[in-house]
Amino acid sequence: MLIWFLPTFLVFLMIGLPVFFALLAAPGILLWLNGQTNDITLLYRNVYNGMDSFPLMAIPFFMLAGELMNRGGITIRLVEFSQALMGHFRGGLAHVNVLSSILFAGLSGSAVADTSALGSMLIPAMEKQGYTRKFAAAITAASSVIGPIIPPSGIMIIYAYVMGESVAALFLAGIVPGVMVGVGLMLMIKVMADKYDFPVASRKYTWPERRQASLKAFFPLLTPVIILGGILGGIFTPTEAAAVAVGYAFIIGFFVLRTLTLKEVPEILSNAGLTSAVVLLLVGAAMAFKTVVSLSHAPEQLASLILSLSENPLILLLLINLLLFVVGMFLDAGPAIIILGPILGPIFTSLGVDPIHFAIIMSVNLTVGLATPPMGLVLFVAAAVSREKVETIAKAILPFLAVEIIVIFLITYIPALSMTIPRITGFAN
Amino acid sequence: MSGLASALAPIAFVNETALRLCRAVGVVAIALMVIAILIQVFFRYVLDNALPWPDEAARFCMLWMTGLMAPTAFRRGGFVAIDMVPLMLPRIPGQVLSLLLLIVSLAMLLVAVTIGWSEVTGFGGKFATAALYLPTSLGFDDWYRIPRSWMMASLLVGVVLLIAVNIELILRAIVSLLGGGDQLPEIADAPAGAE
Repeated sequence: MLIWFLPTFLVFLMIGLPVFFALLAAPGILLWLNGQTNDITLLYRNVYNGMDSFPLMAIPFFMLAGELMNRGGITIRLVEFSQALMGHFRGGLAHVNVLSSILFAGLSGSAVADTSALGSMLIPAMEKQGYTRKFAAAITAASSVIGPIIPPSGIMIIYAYVMGESVAALFLAGIVPGVMVGVGLMLMIKVMADKYDFPVASRKYTWPERRQASLKAFFPLLTPVIILGGILGGIFTPTEAAAVAVGYAFIIGFFVLRTLTLKEVPEILSNAGLTSAVVLLLVGAAMAFKTVVSLSHAPEQLASLILSLSENPLILLLLINLLLFVVGMFLDAGPAIIILGPILGPIFTSLGVDPIHFAIIMSVNLTVGLATPPMGLVLFVAAAVSREKVETIAKAILPFLAVEIIVIFLITYIPALSMTIPRITGFAN
Repeated sequence: MSGLASALAPIAFVNETALRLCRAVGVVAIALMVIAILIQVFFRYVLDNALPWPDEAARFCMLWMTGLMAPTAFRRGGFVAIDMVPLMLPRIPGQVLSLLLLIVSLAMLLVAVTIGWSEVTGFGGKFATAALYLPTSLGFDDWYRIPRSWMMASLLVGVVLLIAVNIELILRAIVSLLGGGDQLPEIADAPAGAE
């Protein structure tokens, strides 16, 4: 009977029950109908134990570090640095938008923060230079998905915790796919710039000017070095690295750049706390859900169903990418990972796909879903920032989505793209 | 309808006030989490002395931050849901569905509060935390070892607050259903999730 919890869960989800309640209601109701009332207590315990975790603390810390960096005037320094490097190309500001997103990704790991921070600065600037508003909003939204792919990444911490993988391995595996998305978007901009005669953003910076811009961006750009260097060097755990990133962002904002004020701190802490609280509750519910998933033998039954479609892992990976892409159109990446990770992860691991590789396929695919209509979160944020209609941005983003889909297929069928760095550094087999 | 609106006003006021206080405590909790882990890093790598308490203290703060702040997110519509079906339906069926979903949530929270109470007051809650102590004298001579129930109470308190919010949301849904949606006081939006 317990196998019915998956369809019940999907019905609850589709009719609009919040994911947190749906994750618990479906197994809870079936356990109750089955007379297993003691196991309902276990569900509650699993929610609590799921949240009571040291590794999970990295989520509020990275969110807080991102908020502090965002408010601390770091965004403008990154944009100036990007402009010094790429502003003189045709389509310069569009390239600057993408490069800023890559750099911002090393600090915050949030696509929403990227869209709102860079969008509010770059979309009006691009419009002033003659780009259409829909194009400016589309490239901002498309490039913001790099945020959760390049480390640090909130969704990868969630995946690692729920699936028992190494956060460091996932962080490292995300670097190349994130850069590939960025380079792919820049290539598409180059093609469009030549075709539509995009403007150049600025004259070519001299090397002393570039050095000046680099110095201004030096402290913010040191953040990913501290985080990854600390984790890889065995100095910090990812959670400790996240706390150090908070301390570093605080010191830079207050004492080095002097752009943060004490008055802003409670609101920054409150925003980070509110966002994290929802995610932590969801992860707790996911841990309870995961227990029922394994008790119900649903992965085994789903695996045999999937294997009846094909036994070729390459075809199955294609099918799963299609499924993830459709799910990503309707659900945000974090909840989708929480729901699908425990179901799909074991199936593909048993088919011989490396768990880190599968985690990256899932994370990148669902992250791209943040920029797809009809429910793409960053599309809505880009629409709010640019005051352009969501459907207009959704059309303008299509060429960039095509690039991101190509990247998904490349990382799916060439595991070395994501696996080489974790393997070289000894974080994956 | 005026009876409902007058029942809603005090509940909204209590929730607004209680949740503001909870957010203030949550803000302190998240700040203490950061401080605890930075102390842990400093002592371990600079002073070569691994302290036993920062890990547990930070988790203590995180659990309370979650319990105290998640209800605000719920009130502000920050609990992720696929709300396409309620939005696609005509006004009345869509609002009836939203109301039913809130009732399902309330039923679950009521079950959770009874389990939570028995957990906090039961066997598991009687164990002590591994490394958390409170001074019980001004000279720091006497220490009280904090029981696990103090940590476990975070989820219970969170569920109680979620129930209070849920009741308010149900009343708001009924007022909307009866055509008084435009008279409802506004609730601020929640920030986005881990994305």
